[in-house]
Amino acid sequence: MSGSETPAITCRNVWQVFGNNADSALKEALSQHETPDAAAQELRGKGLIPAVQDASFDVKEGELFVIMGLSGSGKSTLIRCISHLLHATGGEIRIDGENIVEASPKRLIELRRKKLGMVFQHFGLFPHMTVAENVAYPLRVQGVKKKQRLAKAQKVIELVGLGGREKNFPRELSGGQRQRVGIARSLVADCSVWFLDEPFSALDPLIRRQLQDEFLEIQAKLKTTIVFITHDINEALKLADRIAIMRDGKVVQIGTPADIVLRPVDDYVREFSKDVAKGQHAHVSSVMQPGEHHVYGADDPGLRQDMTLDAALARCMELYEPVPVRTDDGKLVGVVNPADLAAALQVEQG
Amino acid sequence: MASLSKGSIAALIAAVAGALCLLLESSAPWLVKFPAAWVLPATDWVGTAMEWFLALIKPAARSFSALMFYPMEAANYVLSHTPWPLVICATTALAWTLGGVRMALMAVVGLGFVLASGYWPESMNTLALVAVSVPLALIIGGGIGILANEYPRIRKPVQAVLDIMQTVPTFAYLTPLLVLFGFGPVVGLIASAIYAAPPMARNVLLGLERVEPEIKEAAIMAGGTRLQQLFQCEIPSAGQQIMVGVNQCLMAALSMVIIAAVIGGFDDIGWEVLLTMRKAQFGQSLLAGLVIVIFAILIDRMSGTLTQDRRDRHDPRVAWGILALGVLVSAAFWGSVQQPGTYGLFNPVADSVDRGLSSFTSANAEFLTALKNNVLFYVLLPMRIGLDQAVLPFTWGFAWTPMMSAALFAAGAAAGVVFTLRGQMALGVMLLIAAGMLETGISQLPWPFVLVGAGALAWVAGGRGLAILTVVLMGTILLSGLWERALLSLYLSGAAVFACAVMGGAIGLASAVSPGVWRVVRPICDMLQTIPLFVFLIPVLMVFQIGEFSAFLAIIAYAIVPMIRYTRHGLVSTPDEMIEAATASGATTWQMLKDIRAPYAAPSILLGLNQTILYAFAMLVIAALIGTTGLGQSIYLALGQADVGLGISAGAAMAILALIADRMVQGFAEERRKALGL
Repeated sequence: MSGSETPAITCRNVWQVFGNNADSALKEALSQHETPDAAAQELRGKGLIPAVQDASFDVKEGELFVIMGLSGSGKSTLIRCISHLLHATGGEIRIDGENIVEASPKRLIELRRKKLGMVFQHFGLFPHMTVAENVAYPLRVQGVKKKQRLAKAQKVIELVGLGGREKNFPRELSGGQRQRVGIARSLVADCSVWFLDEPFSALDPLIRRQLQDEFLEIQAKLKTTIVFITHDINEALKLADRIAIMRDGKVVQIGTPADIVLRPVDDYVREFSKDVAKGQHAHVSSVMQPGEHHVYGADDPGLRQDMTLDAALARCMELYEPVPVRTDDGKLVGVVNPADLAAALQVEQG
Repeated sequence: MASLSKGSIAALIAAVAGALCLLLESSAPWLVKFPAAWVLPATDWVGTAMEWFLALIKPAARSFSALMFYPMEAANYVLSHTPWPLVICATTALAWTLGGVRMALMAVVGLGFVLASGYWPESMNTLALVAVSVPLALIIGGGIGILANEYPRIRKPVQAVLDIMQTVPTFAYLTPLLVLFGFGPVVGLIASAIYAAPPMARNVLLGLERVEPEIKEAAIMAGGTRLQQLFQCEIPSAGQQIMVGVNQCLMAALSMVIIAAVIGGFDDIGWEVLLTMRKAQFGQSLLAGLVIVIFAILIDRMSGTLTQDRRDRHDPRVAWGILALGVLVSAAFWGSVQQPGTYGLFNPVADSVDRGLSSFTSANAEFLTALKNNVLFYVLLPMRIGLDQAVLPFTWGFAWTPMMSAALFAAGAAAGVVFTLRGQMALGVMLLIAAGMLETGISQLPWPFVLVGAGALAWVAGGRGLAILTVVLMGTILLSGLWERALLSLYLSGAAVFACAVMGGAIGLASAVSPGVWRVVRPICDMLQTIPLFVFLIPVLMVFQIGEFSAFLAIIAYAIVPMIRYTRHGLVSTPDEMIEAATASGATTWQMLKDIRAPYAAPSILLGLNQTILYAFAMLVIAALIGTTGLGQSIYLALGQADVGLGISAGAAMAILALIADRMVQGFAEERRKALGL
């Protein structure tokens, strides 16, 4: 973290409307109606499709921000607005403070070369290029000399574990390997904002889990700002710092994985997290309260802030009094009532 | 009455129009024959306008033609002065690189045959034209395709123009070009470039449109400029489809270069075929035709490998070795490889073919004449001029009487009533109409009936828009004075299409049922589709001489292929699940075919019919060379007289007929597809 106040990405009232004369129709609808919902209603009535409605959020630098929703919820459209593959119909999108909705085509090319990287659901690999050429392509368009760019590509190929496959063509690789190429290509130009559009959805479950783990390792190394799209709640909970849940073009809830699981704003979000083993995703800190502690001796179960609820409950199953929670170095930060732990896990039955 | 289906209503309207025309025939002769006084001199207007326009661009055209002269001469010089061993070895080396040992063998044997036939110099002249026209066509077509992809606004009009260009018959291009560029090989060059560019444009556009959206997005996100995206990512990704375009472009160019021989005494292989055909040296003309077929197959198969998904790699050292061999042989036998035209190894064969042919035709004269006359008297003539005129003591052995007409109509009406009572009114009324058409003959149908009937059919196929378009376009033909010729063309192509539909459908069915049959039929179909149009004329001419019957056969031979292919494909490609469901329900093979496969194949078969119709129209014009009447003949005559007005109008009339047929069949196919939820 640089410590600066500017978020890496800022979206303010972003709209994406498809259809004829979407621009003027949106302006008119917004000027006539108070709420975004009413405006969207009017647009639909005119036969237009408001795919993204009034989306607003910030993504902090180095944050892993997951946008989750079912197909047709507008999540892919939203990520394409932010990466400016689609020109947002309305609103403001800032990357490092710069409004990219108004950026010139030339500036956009520059931004993409220096700052942005993207990974696609179906990989989007160039079929006529080898692995190395695919990965080096973002450098090629910048005019980097062949030797240099292949050397750089080689490093990234090693990073994603594809060493030895440089000369293969995409068609000769498995799905998982192809997506590694896609990841390597998006990383080769040292992007600071990384877009991933359902990168693991087309893969089978085992490969998916493996790539998720490797992805987390890469992220730990690079610490880029990430916008990650998925329709899989488990994937979202596993990876995210924060999650935005979309439905019918609207962002219905933004929060940490624990917020989503423990405090769903409506039935739609609750439905998502129904099948999730909550104890594995929520941490002790989400049910912790500030408080005095009683003096514990040998009875202290040794709860930590970042323990999952499952782990915490296992340690204080037989305790009824509030127990202390400490940081890794032993500093007291609050208390947890074991009853609250159990209640948090039962939230859907309640 | 309110519950009548669309088809029944249309059939009834047409039947009423036909009946009115028949009833009023005696009192109002203008109903049957469109009065000459009503005809607008549209042909002359078109001629004047075109001549004015052509005169305007003539200087530019002439200087372009002068410019083209240099690459043409250069290509010609290079190809005709390169020693033949080198040409053969270079082609073989290329064939090896593209397709390995099989392709290389094909090249050696094919070119060896060309050399032995003595048509080497003529072939090289033809190839020189192709070598210049193809790059031209590739650049023009590719450019149009790319532009249409970049500017979506012009995509629709471009596609419409490409559609029209594909329906305008090849000969029709030639007349204005002749006026523009004058006689000479450059007309053939430009005609073939114009003819070959549309398939390239089509495939480039199609390929670019089909590039996965994520590949396009990846190119954008990599930070490429639009040009970088296009040339480094999108075009290479669309490579396979573009190569299909290159393949089609090559074949079209070759075909047109050969056809263009009819306008010029340029010493090429097409001219050779034409010349020997005119001199009735069929052995030689067959030989020259074979040379053309060899080039067509070589070019097609070699460029076809480029369209394959995964190509094997072939050792380039072998290719270099073959090339070195060519250089060595050329150097070693420098003196004796200079006259490749003198071989004529097959001349004795050609002569004996001639002799054999004449003895065959004289020995089987009776059978051949009987065959020809039977088809002419019992099928073609009645369709053309109707039973009332075709049935004569000379042809059928008895004269047609009004009683027979009445009986025919009564039979038609009876069939109509039977079907109507069984709930198939449209079919019943159509049978009645068919009886009427058989009595009158297609070429003598009253014009109001044709307009109403075509309009009604178009209405059923594609709604009001298509009906209006059909009537307006047909009306233009009527007013331009080309009506009778158009009906003649309609009759001959109609007869040929009908024959193709019946025979092609049967062969397609047999191929679908038995893989053994398909193994035999398939290479024949491949072959027939590779052969340039022109070559079809040779064998029919050899056996049946000039005349409508020969033209009829040539059209069938060319147009039957799509019918076979699409019928088989439609019948074979029924999804496995449907077959399994039918089997589980206890259907027999025949029931499966009738109830499951046939309905599912209907859209595909209709598309085959559509292709067959377009093929028949294309061949109709070429067949004018060996004797047809109608629009084809007019186009051919216009070419001879450099009559731009007639050439363009007749070409446009052909294009209109083809366009209307195309839209109607597509309409029916679309409806079937929708009904099946495809």
